[in-house]
This record gives sequence, C-alpha cells and structure tokens, in this order.
Amino acid sequence: MLGFAVALVAVQAGLAVAAPLVAPYDPLAQDILARLQGPGAAHWLGTDQFGRDVLSRILFGCRASLAIAAASVGAALAVGGSLGVLAAFYRGWADRVVMRAMDVLFAFPVMLLAIGVVAVLGPRPGTAAVAIAVVYTPIFARLLRAPALAVCAGEYVEAARAVGARDMRILLRHVAPNLASVALVQTALLLSSAILVEASLSFLGLGTQPPSPSLGLMLAEGRNVLMLSPWSALFAGAAILLLAFGLNLLGDALRDTLDPRLRGPQ
Amino acid sequence: MIRKTLRCLMLAGTVLAAPLGASAQVLQVAVDQSPAGLDPHLVTAFSSFQIVNGPIYEGLTAVDAGLAVVPSLAASWTVSADGKTYTFSLQPGVRFHDGAPMEAADVIASFHRVMDKAIGSPLASRLATVTTMAAPDAHTVVLTLSEPTAPLLSALAGIAIVPRGMEANKDALQKQPDGTGPFMFKEWQPNGFILLAKNPHYWRAGLPKLDGVKFNIVPESATRQVGIGSGQYAMLPNIDPATALQLKGRPGVALQQTLELSYTLLGMNTSKPPFNDPRVREAVNYALDRGQMVTAALFGAGVPGGPLSPALTQWAVPTSAFPCYRTDPAKAKALLQAAGLTLPVAVTMTVLPRQDIKDIAQVAQAQMDKAGFKVTLRNVELGQFIQDWRNSNFEMFASANGGSVDPDDYFFRTFRTGGSTNVFKYSNPEVDTLLDQARGTVDQAARKAAYDKVQRVLACEGPVAHLAYAQLFTALRGNVHGFRIMANRSLAGLAETSVAP
Amino acid sequence: MRRVLVPRLAELAVVLFGVSVIVFLMIRLIPGDAVAIMLGANTEVTPDRIAALRGRLGLDQPIVVQYAHWAWAALRGDFGTSLWTGRPVLQEILEHLGPTLELTLLALGLGAGLAVPAGCVMARLRGGWVDGAMRVVTVAGLTVPSFWLGIVMILALATLAPALQALGYVPFSADPLGNLGRMVLPAAALALPILASLSRLVRSAMLDALGQDYIRTARAKGLAERVVVYRHALANALIPFVTSVGITTGYLLGGAIVVEQVFAIPGLGQLILGAIAERNYPLLQATILVVTAGFVAVNFVVDLLYLALDPRVRP
Repeated sequence: MLGFAVALVAVQAGLAVAAPLVAPYDPLAQDILARLQGPGAAHWLGTDQFGRDVLSRILFGCRASLAIAAASVGAALAVGGSLGVLAAFYRGWADRVVMRAMDVLFAFPVMLLAIGVVAVLGPRPGTAAVAIAVVYTPIFARLLRAPALAVCAGEYVEAARAVGARDMRILLRHVAPNLASVALVQTALLLSSAILVEASLSFLGLGTQPPSPSLGLMLAEGRNVLMLSPWSALFAGAAILLLAFGLNLLGDALRDTLDPRLRGPQ
Repeated sequence: MIRKTLRCLMLAGTVLAAPLGASAQVLQVAVDQSPAGLDPHLVTAFSSFQIVNGPIYEGLTAVDAGLAVVPSLAASWTVSADGKTYTFSLQPGVRFHDGAPMEAADVIASFHRVMDKAIGSPLASRLATVTTMAAPDAHTVVLTLSEPTAPLLSALAGIAIVPRGMEANKDALQKQPDGTGPFMFKEWQPNGFILLAKNPHYWRAGLPKLDGVKFNIVPESATRQVGIGSGQYAMLPNIDPATALQLKGRPGVALQQTLELSYTLLGMNTSKPPFNDPRVREAVNYALDRGQMVTAALFGAGVPGGPLSPALTQWAVPTSAFPCYRTDPAKAKALLQAAGLTLPVAVTMTVLPRQDIKDIAQVAQAQMDKAGFKVTLRNVELGQFIQDWRNSNFEMFASANGGSVDPDDYFFRTFRTGGSTNVFKYSNPEVDTLLDQARGTVDQAARKAAYDKVQRVLACEGPVAHLAYAQLFTALRGNVHGFRIMANRSLAGLAETSVAP
Repeated sequence: MRRVLVPRLAELAVVLFGVSVIVFLMIRLIPGDAVAIMLGANTEVTPDRIAALRGRLGLDQPIVVQYAHWAWAALRGDFGTSLWTGRPVLQEILEHLGPTLELTLLALGLGAGLAVPAGCVMARLRGGWVDGAMRVVTVAGLTVPSFWLGIVMILALATLAPALQALGYVPFSADPLGNLGRMVLPAAALALPILASLSRLVRSAMLDALGQDYIRTARAKGLAERVVVYRHALANALIPFVTSVGITTGYLLGGAIVVEQVFAIPGLGQLILGAIAERNYPLLQATILVVTAGFVAVNFVVDLLYLALDPRVRP
C-alpha cells in the first residue's frame, strides 16, 4: 500500500512541478474558436469556455493546489508544531496559555474559520494559504504536544539537561527527531484535506482568482456551462479527488508503517 | 446497476414531491440571489430591483417594452412651454396594498423621501432639478424645475410611489413593502423564497391574472436549469446567454430575448499615465476584438457596443461609424509608440467581482497583451471595488453599468467635467458644451444632433471603452403566456402573465 | 462525576470566551475602512451614513467597552439587526438553522447508520483483497469533494430523471414527504465522506476489540461467532465511534455550506455566503459565533457521553 501511495503522489507531484514542461499548451492562452470542445486529439481533455486547454489548466491547477497546500501545511507545522513542543518543554503557564489559545482556534469548524479569515483579508493571492495555515496550526500543536511531553520526560532529555546542554540544542537534537513520524503522518493527511479546503474556497469564489488556473475555480467556472460541456468541471473535480486521494492514502500507509501504535482508533 | 438504483431513487423522489405541482396559478419563478432588502428607494441590486419595481411598486410613469415612456400612476401630464413646470393628473381609484387611497400627498411624500439626505436614496440625483412640489387637489401634482430637464419623465418611471408617513422611516419598507402594484408582498423566507399574492384591488381592470408569484432563490445555475426542465419552475427571468444557450431546444421551455440596456465596459483613469494620453485610450479600442468578446463571454448572444445601446434605436450611432472599432493590434502598438511609451505598457485592471465581468476581463487581457499592453487583473471584493471606483483609485477597470433610457441620464453625470460619476476625471470642453445644450432643450432633433457628436468623440478617445451589450433572456415553461421581456430587466409584465393549466 | 464536570465546564467557559474575542475582533481586523466597505456593497457612501453606521456598530467607543457591550448583548441573545433587511439577526439565524440541522442530521444518520455494517464486514474480511479494495474505496470516499459530488448528482438528475421536481426546500412540517424527497440527494452527497471515515473507524475498532481477552473468553465459551462479533466486540467498538461522530459535525457544517449552494437549501451556509457577498459583517459575525458555540457544545456533550460509556476513562 505504501509503495502504491508513494508512487501515486510522486507521479502527481512530478507532473505538477514539471507542468511548464509537460503541459501541451499555455494554460492562459485563449482560442475562442475552439472553445467548449470535448476530449479529442488536439486537446486530450477538451477546452473550456475561452478555448483554453483543460489538461494544461489542470496540470497548472494541480501545481497551484499543491503549492498552496504545501505552504499552508508547512506554515502550520512550523508554527503549530513549535508551539506544541515548546509548551510541552517548558510546561507551566506558557503551556496553559498556548494550549488554551490553540483550543480556541480548534473550536471553530474548519470551513467556517477559513471563510472568516478570507472574509477578513479579502481575495488577495495567498489569502487561502493563510486561512488554511491558521486552521491547521492548532491541530499540529495539540498533536505534537502529547508525544513531546513523553519525550521531554524521558531520561536522555534529563541527561542532556544535566550536562548543561542549551534548550535549543535539546529540542533540535533530542526532542524533534522523536516526533518526526507523528508529524509526517499528519502532514500527509492534512495536505490532502488542505487540497479540499482550497478547492472549496475557490469554488465559492473566495480562493484563487481568475485567470490563474486553479482546480476549484475551474470547477466553479465549468459549472456555468455544465449542460453544454461538462468536461472542464468533471475533470477538474476528478483531479481534486486524485490529488487528495493520493496524499490521504500516503498518510494512511505511513501511519501503518511508521508506528503500529498509531493504528486503530484515535 | 448504479444507474438503475439512481433511477429508482429519483422516481421515489418524484412520487414524494408530486403534490407540490398542484397550485398552478402561483407562478414559480427561480432567481439566483436573495434580495438585499425591499425598500424601493434604497435598493440598488438587480436581485431586489426586479422583485420590487413593477410587481409591487409603480411610478408616475412607466417604460414600456419598446422603451417609450407611458402613463402609469399619472394618467396624463402637461409640460409648460419653458419646460420648467410639469403638471400630473393622477390615475383615480388607485389604492395601496393596505387599502389607503393613493393621492397627491403620497406622491409628494415619496419624492421628499427620495430627496431626504437622511434616507440617502441613490435616486436623489434624478430629482436634483426639482425646486417646488405642490398638490392643488388630491389628484394633481405640480413639479417646478430650476431648469428644463428632458430626462425627467423617464427618470420618474424608476421612482416608486410609497404611502405618506414613510419619509423618516428607513427600516419599515425594507421588510414590509406597501405599494400600488399588481402583487402584494406576502411572505419572505430569506434565502428560501419571496411570495407575492394577487392585489385584488389593482387599478388596471382584470389584472393581474395570476393568484401569486413565488420567487424561489436558487443560487446554482445548473440547478435552475434542471428545475425549469422538469417544470418545477415556470420562469427563469433575466438569465445570461450561457444559461440560455443550455436551455435552447429543451422540450417544454420557451426563450424570450431582447438586447440589454446594460453593458460591459473598460474604464480608464484620464488623470494619470498612461491613460491621460488620448492616443493610449484609442490604442485600447484598436486592441480589443469586441466580436470575439461576444463569442467568448456572451456565447455569441450580444452585439459590440458603442456609448449607447443599439436598443435605443432613436439615439444610438451604429458602431460601424467608429474607426477604432476595427481590431488592429499593429495600429494599437503604433499609437502607444507615438505616445512615447515603451512596449509593453503595463497596466492594472481592477475587475468587478461578477462572473460575466471576470469572463470579459480575461478576454480583454488576452487581447490587449497581443497589442502592446501587459495587463494584470486585480480581483477585489465588491466593497473595495466600489470604494476604489468612487475615489478614482484605478488605472483601468472592467465593470458593467445598468443603462438608461435617456442619454442624458448616463452621459451628463459620467462624462461632463465634474460630473457626479465622472470617476475617470475626464474633461473635454467640446463634450461639456454639447451635453449642456442637449440637456437644456426639449427639441428632439437638436438633442439627437448633439448626442451624435458626443458619441463619436467618446467612442475612440473617451475614458470608457464600451465593450458589448448582451442579449438578455427569460426562460418560460411553454404554458406561461402574456409575459414580455424588457430591456431594463423589469418584471412589470408579470401583471399580464397567466399560466394555462 | 462532579470532579470531572467542574474542570471541563471551566475549560468550556475559557474556550467560549476566546471564541467570542476572536469573532469580535474579526470585523475590526478588516483592512481599510470596514464601514465604508460594508456600505459600498449596497448604498451610496456618504460621511453621514458612515458616521451613523459607525455609531450603530459602536465602533466609536474604546475597544474594551465595545467588547463588553457586544458580549453582554450576545449573552442575552441580542445580536442586533441585520444591516440591510432590518430583521433581528437572531431571527435570521434561527430561520436558517432548521434546514441545515435537518440536512446534517440526515447525512449523519445515513453515514453513521451504514458505517456500522460496512465496518463490520471489512473487519471480518480483513487482510483479503476485499479489505484492501474497500480501503482504497473508503479513502476515495473520504476525499471526494462534496460540492463536486453535488454537481455530478445534478447532472445525473438532468439526464436520468429530467421530469423530477425535487429541488429546493419545503419545511418538514408543511410537507413531510416532499421534504424528505428533496433531502435525499443532498444528504447522500454529504454522507459519503462520513460513511467512509466512520466505516474505517468501525473496522479498526472492531479489530482492536476482537483481539481483546474477553472476546477470546467469549469464543472459548463456545458462543456463536455472530454473537461474539455483534454483541461483544461491536458494543466496545462503538465507544470511539461515538466520539468521532462529534468531530464529524464540524466537517458536516463545512460540507453543508457548499451542498446547500448546489441544492438551493436555505440554510446557514446560504446565510453565511450571502452575508459575505453583502458585506453584512455583523450578521456574519453573529452566525460564526452561534455556530461555533453550538459546535463546542456538541463536542462537550460527546465528551461527557464518552465518559459515561467508557468505564476505563472514569477517574
């Protein structure tokens, strides 16, 4: 299962990264006369309302989706993970304040908080990434705090403290590596759901803005011509599904492989 | 197998939902947006406007399907020789929905309400030249103007008459409308539906024919299409070409169409580079291929637009008279170079957040990029767009305007130096003189001559590149009769609409 | 029980306070002049109107005073009136609550109801190719965007049953059959991811339970396999199931926002999207607060339920 998941994600990520090389057309190039075509030899997945190549737009859209997902989950991991680990390391009031703050953010339903952040910031480039990062920060903080507590109470951390190692060194050398597997699994799973949240926001007109190719936006634009030519909407939706599917499967398989204790109910 | 299961499920749904189709004399209308309030003097959105103006409220005058001004609550009127005094005789026997008679005092109270700063009605500017209002008797209203105002009669069509006593009340009419129109407000379930019931005391004999109209709010275009295809909805009013094209030829669905008064445009800020140079504005016009825009964004249902809608047959100059409407990227580049600019010329285009405008803007961007420009689209939220528009905080914008029946209503405030919506900071003494002349006379031929000249000047080097007028559609079930689509999107025709059983 | 309840209630109060502060600050964090932007969407912006709205929203007072006023009014259920319609915000929220509640409960019932048998089957067939295939299918179900599913369903509806009149919403009280007929598709679109995630959960919980001592004892006693699986293992496997149903409500709400859009259901999602489109920030603020508070309350109740169900976590 892991091999399959890794291969699937690697192929998708490779295609996305190499989109400028492999895409048959410029994703923004319009050919009005060739619009709303079904799949064919010239355009494998057809064309959209402006005669833009759907395949090229999907490749670039995957690239954008992955970039936003990676940036937002990366930021959430960095901020949330650090907060969780620091809270566990220092304990006391810092722990309480940080974790209560995380509880508050965690209390919001995911889409609601994301929509709220976007409504406040307005439809600028990067807004969706910020919104998703905010939403996922408490998840990493809570998730990493518990194992970090266990690690920090471990003997080798005590020992390192006893020999006078600095806090930063202890955290980086001893604590962080022990949390890597938990973080890795969660990162893959959240990347998958970040893809879905970004697509939802774009679908609602709150995420990526035209003319940038974005999967959610393609779906939103395509649904206006659904009965004329469903291809753009159908393929864009399928691409979202495949991206999120691959990453989720990867997270799942990683969980089974890395840590048998994580199996079963959470 | 899946197909079969789905079909079974859906058939089960049909049986379950069947009893709903029974009340045939309430017209089931599907619209995309919930109205934002129902006060006829405050609403600006089409979603509110189409429900309020016509079906619920009426003005002293009305605009008919041919866009001519006709009597409505005013049965007739006379204009003094100097064009400064209008005397209206009101239609007798008109009642508001609450039963009170509609009299001259109500008309004057309504105009006061519109002009009141505290109410802040966007219609106030239409009555700007009214100096005094008098009611010699209960059925006569006399308006005195500071100067002759040719567009007054068409402007009055858009000013709803509400009962007296509302002058200082900003909230009551938003929730509970009370007009003289063929339908009375009955129920509003926000985001669900608005239900109007027949006005039994309506002053036009024998109307309305329907027992009621239900405006169902259905945000998703595909869902509305499925709904009218199945007969759940009997009317989709004022739909765009993309939706209409998808409904064309569907059994049981008929389409009505007319050319819209409203139009899409690119606005340019003439107070700063690069658009302060008329040659750059001309270059934009040469860069654009309006025919292609109509094909791409309007699915072929529309026409390239000049400053006035071709629907205004008595005013509009045909676009073939404008040399810059011939697409010529090379000429555009030459003009830019003549203006001393290095190619490509980078400009930012702020885009009105609406799907059709986003579509048009993407096409305009692609076309201009081929003709020496480098366009960046700036997508903002509506509030921001309006703020930037008002403060002239843009290089260029893509937007849509609701058109007017009289050229003065659009031109004077938009292109005269210092005009109230001249956000482009455009100033051309020749245009100013022509606009002043045309406004101050009621001589039709003289006005036409002046507006012809204005259109020729504005078309190529004005601050607005007019793009296209879309074909407007209304989809009806085959058994709906008597409705007529109108270029200004009014649903006043619902009064004469009936449904065959 | 009280030893557990008191600290949890304190925690709940802290979280609700934090949520209210964030929601309160929302309107004040909008870049630019929030009031001008709010007005810009619907009416002409004049300095008079800006001042009037600023006063109405209390933006002309010190921020702590603003919060105190706002929170005190909110506690009494007073969220002011909607900017454009003049109706009480609470009334607007309550009117939109019913359809969303019904949609989510139906989806939850559908998803959770089917998840138990599906999970049991997967647990019994574990290791085989059926299990592997089901696993791939459930991951796919978990990651299918519900708005896309909704659109595909509408497309299917148009091609397979063009005469079906089952769009929009009628209250259950007005027409029970019509109501349910219209809710089938949207609830199914929303239920699929729940079905996928909960059936996986039931599967692993069942596997866990089946490996426990008491099951071995039960088997050793010679009880029929069916009794072992359903009476003993399932009863214990249901504990994590209940907890995650609580977490699922959060997902359901996000899904409901887009599904309501596709199926024209006048629920909270439509209210929220409408409020954003109209720049009706006070309404948006109140809706987010009320919904989040509800979500927190649901999770609180689920927590308590978990305590009541599982003797092991009782102190």
